[in-house]
Amino acid sequence: MTIVMKFGGSSLADADTIRHCAALVRGRGSDRVVTVVSAMAGVTDMLIELAQAAADGTRMRVHTLLGKLHERHELAARAFGASEAVAPLLSQLDTLVAGIGAVSELTPRSHDAVVSFGERLSAVIVAAALDGHAMTGHEAGIVTDDRHTQANPLMKLSLHQIRETLQPRLEHGEPIVVTGFIAGTQHGAITTFGRGGSDLTATLVGAGLPADEVWIWSDVDGLMSADPRIVPEARLLGHVTFAEAIEMGQFGAKSMHPRALEPAAEYRVPVRMRNTFHPDCGGTLITDGQPNGETVRSVLRLRGSALVTIAGAAMVGQPGTAARVFQALADVGVNVQVISQTVSEAGISVVIPASQLDPARVALENRLVRTGVARKVEIESDIDVVAVVGAGMAGVPGIAARVFGAVARREVNVMAIAQGSSELTICFVVKADASATAVQALHAEFGLAG
Amino acid sequence: MKIAIVGFGVVGQALVRLLRERSGELYRRHGFAPRIVAAIDTRGAALSAQGLDIAALLRTKASDGTVATIPDCGVSRVDNEQVIAECGAHVLVEATPSSLRDPQPAIRHLKAAFRAGLHVVSVNKVPLAVAFPGLRELADYNRVMFRFSGTVGAGLPVLALAQQCALGDEILSVRAVLNGTTNYILWRMHEAGLDFAAALAEAVRLGYAETDPSADVDGVDTAMKTVIFANVVLDRAATLADVQVAGIRDLPRERIATAAAAGRRVKLLAELGEKLRVGPQEIEAHGPLDVPANLNAVSLSLRHGGEVTLRGPGAGGVETATGVLRDLLDIWHALGSAP
Repeated sequence: MTIVMKFGGSSLADADTIRHCAALVRGRGSDRVVTVVSAMAGVTDMLIELAQAAADGTRMRVHTLLGKLHERHELAARAFGASEAVAPLLSQLDTLVAGIGAVSELTPRSHDAVVSFGERLSAVIVAAALDGHAMTGHEAGIVTDDRHTQANPLMKLSLHQIRETLQPRLEHGEPIVVTGFIAGTQHGAITTFGRGGSDLTATLVGAGLPADEVWIWSDVDGLMSADPRIVPEARLLGHVTFAEAIEMGQFGAKSMHPRALEPAAEYRVPVRMRNTFHPDCGGTLITDGQPNGETVRSVLRLRGSALVTIAGAAMVGQPGTAARVFQALADVGVNVQVISQTVSEAGISVVIPASQLDPARVALENRLVRTGVARKVEIESDIDVVAVVGAGMAGVPGIAARVFGAVARREVNVMAIAQGSSELTICFVVKADASATAVQALHAEFGLAG
Repeated sequence: MKIAIVGFGVVGQALVRLLRERSGELYRRHGFAPRIVAAIDTRGAALSAQGLDIAALLRTKASDGTVATIPDCGVSRVDNEQVIAECGAHVLVEATPSSLRDPQPAIRHLKAAFRAGLHVVSVNKVPLAVAFPGLRELADYNRVMFRFSGTVGAGLPVLALAQQCALGDEILSVRAVLNGTTNYILWRMHEAGLDFAAALAEAVRLGYAETDPSADVDGVDTAMKTVIFANVVLDRAATLADVQVAGIRDLPRERIATAAAAGRRVKLLAELGEKLRVGPQEIEAHGPLDVPANLNAVSLSLRHGGEVTLRGPGAGGVETATGVLRDLLDIWHALGSAP
């Protein structure tokens, strides 16, 4: 069996936790394992601060941060006899930071170069713990476009090169450690993937080899039927579909980033979420399998949102109004989470992050109210979005009636509703102080405690 | 248009000869005045920003076995990728020999060209058979054109015909004779009653077969063409591993004779249906696929259009060079009409 194992930063805090991760890899015996690592816990944030401090010329801060980074990695490396392997990397980092300080300028490209040291250092240390070989994502074959800090892989080329590079090494039985999160352009400049980056590296490697499974080790057991802080009887989901996992990720579950699941879903590589600190737990297996007869799998809530309603009689039967609303929001970079519009009402409601409320309001008032397209913009801050997710809901009548019946019985007022045409999710908007009640009611209604 | 050629063997030389012979007509009809700014062979390269003298290229290659000895222009032992990236060419013609044993050099040539923004015409089948989806992605990402019509059917526009057919109709299946060498061997075994070894020896003597004919005889060459066809025309992300391959090595004469008695012929056939297969198969004598000597034949079965067959020479330096020229002109016209 070929497995890709990815360890997040929380699993790589110090020499002890690294030793534990190495034992999890070694525990697979004759299986062929490619290990993908994030930077050690907290290191990426320090590197981001370091790069900025260098460009700003705050030398004391640079000195302190470099000192901490040296100490952290030297200490961990010493435990595995890897001091000589980390020394050249740390000295390269010193040089790079001095260079950024000298020109007082931080480009996205040099930002990526600085940040990459987190994974490059952790890979070298983990490789020493495994008696294996450390490679960067780029050396392993991953090529991206040149959007530094937000790079996208050239998927087909990367998968081909991953197979070409890693298969022969695996056949030699050599433990391989690949840096997550970082890759390179076709010209060899270092790039980073942005959010969900290390998981994306893992699924790319998994799809490229191809692996039998990709295991994502983190500090959670897997996907839950609800947040156990709201619903104490919430249960671990043993098996979900890619579509469900992607949807749950969108709603803020401690899932994988939807982008990271894409290569696995497309190339049908099963992904297993597992807990480093609880390795006896089987975790959550994510596959493209059919729904297992259950309808609703999970109840989630998205906090810190605001409901914005754009209303006015002039909007009735006026083509293009929705386009103007979304253009206005897009132009100020507002991320729309839920959209709702009724046929008869002269209004469009959107849910956006509360943090983006001010720019959204100004943009809508300036572009729509001022020009007479809409009469007013109404704001409901302090709202949450509650969602029920399940691939098995599609085509089953009566789910919506049960959802809203259960919520109504607990006297929770529903302010807006949306359902995608895939019928994978029904979501609705409630006052923030009522969302926990709604989640509990739905968890009980669909018997998710098992 | 400035052109770099990597691989200056039979096809590379035939191409420059063709460009020279047809220069007047190409300029009149297409405004096409190609300059060869780099020619690379195994021992070095000849470089000239103004364009190399084609007569000198051919003469030196014939006398010295390399273009690296041309006075002033020749350089021995070069880094091919560096030359490709820095020679100032608009288009790279990749014409190194197809060797499955080591596909990497050719793949590196193509990647270097795409990275540097060169359009590419590949005659070499191997990079396409091994890494087509990734190479096309890299070409698209760099917004350059990637043409390879000479890889299947040499001068015959097999891929173009099939793509045109697939536009308005649907290709249900394909049966094809795609390797001239094996067709010649099987044809001689039938016509002259030769056994396999004698027919192969004759093919080698006439220059149809390489001195190491295994890629042809074992079906690998046909399998590579099958993979390219499947990717390009049928949009299937196939690789060589997806093709079931059998060759014709040591095929007994009796098999040919038994088939002939039943009014049938044995051909090394590529079949692209639900599965991709290459192997000796019996076909109807005098049918569309029963081509003599070293010819090729491709028969498309279309949902509405019925059987469409293209027959003709599918190998040879000049024939392949015309395929390259077709691709070069295609790029030239596309560049001119780009917005």
